[in-house]
Amino acid sequence: MLNDKGITLIETADTLEALEIVGKSPQRADARDKVRGSAVYLEDMKVNNMLCGKVLRSRYPHARILSIDASAAEKLPGVRGVVTGAELPFLHGESLVDEPFLARDKVRYTGEAVAAVAALDEATAEEALELITVQYQELPPLFDVMEAAKPGAPLVHEALASYQHAPGINPIHGTNICNHFKLRRGDIEEGFAQSDCVFEDTFTTPMQQHCSLEPHGSICLMNHDDKLTLWTNNDSPHRCRKEIASALKIPLTNVRIITAPNIGGNFGGKGGLKAEASAAALAWKIRNRPIKVMYTREEEFCSSIGRHPSVTRIKTGVRKDGTIVARQVETYLDSGAYAEKGPTVARFCGLSAAGPYKIPHVKVDVYCVYTNKTVAGAMRGYGGPQGAWAYESQMDVIAAKLGLDPLELRLRHAYDEGDIHITGQQIYSEGLKECIEKVAENMEWSRPRPEGRGRGIACMERAVKTPFGSAAFVKVNEDGTVDILSSTTEVGQGSETVLRQIAAEELGVRLEQVRKAAPDTAYTPFDSSTTSSRSTFHMGNAVKMAVADAKSQILKLAAPLLEANVDDLRIKDGNVHPQGQPERALPIAKVLQRHYGPSGTVLGRGYYIPEMPAESEEYYSRFMVHWLVGACGAEVEVNRKTGQIKVLKIWGAYDAGKAIHPVNCEGQIQGGIAIGLGLALSEEVMSKDGAVMNPSFLSYKVPTALDVPQIVPIIVEHPHPDGPFGAKGMGETTNVPVPPAIANAIYDAVGVRIHNLPVTPDKVLEVLKLKAQEQAGSRAPSPRRPAAPGRGK
Amino acid sequence: MDKTVRININRESYELELEPNQTLLDLLREQLGMTGTKKGCEIGACGACTVIIDGEPALSCMTLALRCRGKEVITIEGMAENGRLHPLQEMAIEHGAVQCGYCTPGWLLSAKVLLDNNPSPTLDEVRSAISGNICRCTGYQKIEESILAAAGRSLPAPAPEGESSPRV
Repeated sequence: MLNDKGITLIETADTLEALEIVGKSPQRADARDKVRGSAVYLEDMKVNNMLCGKVLRSRYPHARILSIDASAAEKLPGVRGVVTGAELPFLHGESLVDEPFLARDKVRYTGEAVAAVAALDEATAEEALELITVQYQELPPLFDVMEAAKPGAPLVHEALASYQHAPGINPIHGTNICNHFKLRRGDIEEGFAQSDCVFEDTFTTPMQQHCSLEPHGSICLMNHDDKLTLWTNNDSPHRCRKEIASALKIPLTNVRIITAPNIGGNFGGKGGLKAEASAAALAWKIRNRPIKVMYTREEEFCSSIGRHPSVTRIKTGVRKDGTIVARQVETYLDSGAYAEKGPTVARFCGLSAAGPYKIPHVKVDVYCVYTNKTVAGAMRGYGGPQGAWAYESQMDVIAAKLGLDPLELRLRHAYDEGDIHITGQQIYSEGLKECIEKVAENMEWSRPRPEGRGRGIACMERAVKTPFGSAAFVKVNEDGTVDILSSTTEVGQGSETVLRQIAAEELGVRLEQVRKAAPDTAYTPFDSSTTSSRSTFHMGNAVKMAVADAKSQILKLAAPLLEANVDDLRIKDGNVHPQGQPERALPIAKVLQRHYGPSGTVLGRGYYIPEMPAESEEYYSRFMVHWLVGACGAEVEVNRKTGQIKVLKIWGAYDAGKAIHPVNCEGQIQGGIAIGLGLALSEEVMSKDGAVMNPSFLSYKVPTALDVPQIVPIIVEHPHPDGPFGAKGMGETTNVPVPPAIANAIYDAVGVRIHNLPVTPDKVLEVLKLKAQEQAGSRAPSPRRPAAPGRGK
Repeated sequence: MDKTVRININRESYELELEPNQTLLDLLREQLGMTGTKKGCEIGACGACTVIIDGEPALSCMTLALRCRGKEVITIEGMAENGRLHPLQEMAIEHGAVQCGYCTPGWLLSAKVLLDNNPSPTLDEVRSAISGNICRCTGYQKIEESILAAAGRSLPAPAPEGESSPRV
């Protein structure tokens, strides 16, 4: 049933009040194993007769492969096989199919897989790699995203026009642009004509790496009947199954994906095929032997994926009173050598590139561009941090120039309930303003800060991938316990606990009676992915529906036993009883036993896919089932002599709809903010001539306990009419506004605006020096003089 | 040369045949099947493989197994004694300090050494003790809270009105 906003109504406000398990923060089921060291990860798994796979990687950013000689490697005792790209005439890719399992004909980045070896042990496999001789002919490489985007640039993919891609993806043939996303609203030229001031800035972001503590890994076994089994720490088993089966041109269900019981971090990095591709390439050739490929930390940096580096030109037209009338955004995302999730990242970046603001005239162009660099892909909030860095930095540039309060400027333009989003969608259940207000209140926005200190605020919005489905089964066992069969992966975010809470609440059993096992595509039903902050909402709904199905069956079985109408029966703590008569309780196990003897079981099923307005697209709709929103505030101290930035405290408020597990939500906020802090101040995958220069934790600086200041998590709850108990996702929002919040605080402290992330002391010092020179030359120096809008640092 | 080496691991004595280039991490994970000690970088930069050797925290990926001859090694599998979780483990669960769990064994052992030597550490001492253990999930705050709670302390009170409260 759709309401007038096109939203299906499931939940009503009054049912939210009597919750017993949802909204509490019970202990996570996986925590006990994890603190004991008994939690099993892919890294810990062994299969009988398993071989060790290792990958030979390209040392050139762009080169033709003239020949590969693996004969010496094949002869090495202990080696069971070597495979090269020539033997696998297949391509894979999620939304644009462009990536070989092992390089074919040419290599497109330094670190690309060229050949793979399977041996009895790791040392032998590594030794064999040294014995493979590859002859290359170097080709002109492309390292600059802006150069690569130009017409006439050398091509990274000559065959772009022939690649299959999802609907809604718009590659420009004959160029390096693998997706051009466009969004138009109003008349941009008319908007600028109506403006009193026009601000033009360019902002850039570097590649950030996920740095999941557990590297990518997979064990692949393929038999002579083309049946393939993959044990993996991939984040989305059904998506992985489809990608492998489509690529290898074998029937979908010939592929079985078994997710490791635990996954050591994800942040978007474990989608797609990484170690999966290398393990599958080896298994394709060496049949009937399971082969394990585990990435090293160096491979994580050089040969998996990172966050897209970006260049954003943002031009905003504003009236004298601060009303924003027009915004034009042009973003170039450096996809590296392959598209990976890039086309989708470009899309999500573009949908929110103008910020969560009411602006009548908007023009957005996002280009996802191939270069000969490390591949970029999905990373927490993807497209969001790049966009927010530009629009939220510029909001403060505008406020400073026009003498406005940055907080007030945001609140004046932020979307309200019922507003029309630039995509044309009506905004509903939007907690954005409350997030901004809560941050401002908690950080005491108006409180004066001492010299050298400053405070900044930033907010954000991001789409949730729509419309994609999730399915779940529940088994109610003969003892009254419940098993959830769901393909949502537990990557640390706590979805296992959240789904158990939803099931326990819906059925009326204790949390301990509900379990959820890791996915296995042979048993757990379809789920499109554990990404995009979609699981609590989508899989939460599927589980809730499956439980409701099982519950109605149980109540039907119980009605004659309790001599009551089904409608009058309730379940509490695992006991069925007529309403108002808890003393007549009958345990679920007894209900099943009375009907089925020792064979008692009840099976429930649920499938959730958002009901879409008639005109919306079937794939990558512009109508979003919900928008992720949040705001962040930072207080910093800047040392004018050294440029050193000390972040004193961070506040983050994010809309969870309904926090199913508040402590989990706090963990998502604090953890996400730490990742945002890293992008703001220290994290940057640096490359020279296409080679990553800092592929380790010694030279790539992830924040440690000494770097992360106190983070105040604030959970905002604007229930979603369609969410399970009102819940929305929130994990991918939390890092997004952190870099601009910190940069805005730095500006507030010392009047320095940095345009290029990360904000390092040398960049701050350089601008401080430039400012000092300017001031020495001007008549009325002022330490807080706002910087003129314009391009530059 | 007799390569047999005796090492005490988790209060049990092992007689082991070791290769000269074998790391303690490799011994634990591959030879003994104690996979609770995690491999995160193999160059001593992430702290996931932290164990305790003779009461000191050590990176097992940077420690040759042979050098543990005659020493006492405690790994995460040995942190609970007689089936009872260590208070640090209990508090980690209670305070939501565990997300993906891959860094958890490492920081728990770093924190154990801290509390063994300093039963009531300050927040700064806690942060210092776990600064070699990278966690990408939690932002450290709940980890720090859990360690302080295990030590019977709580986080410092909020800073007075009008003053921001840096934690250093």
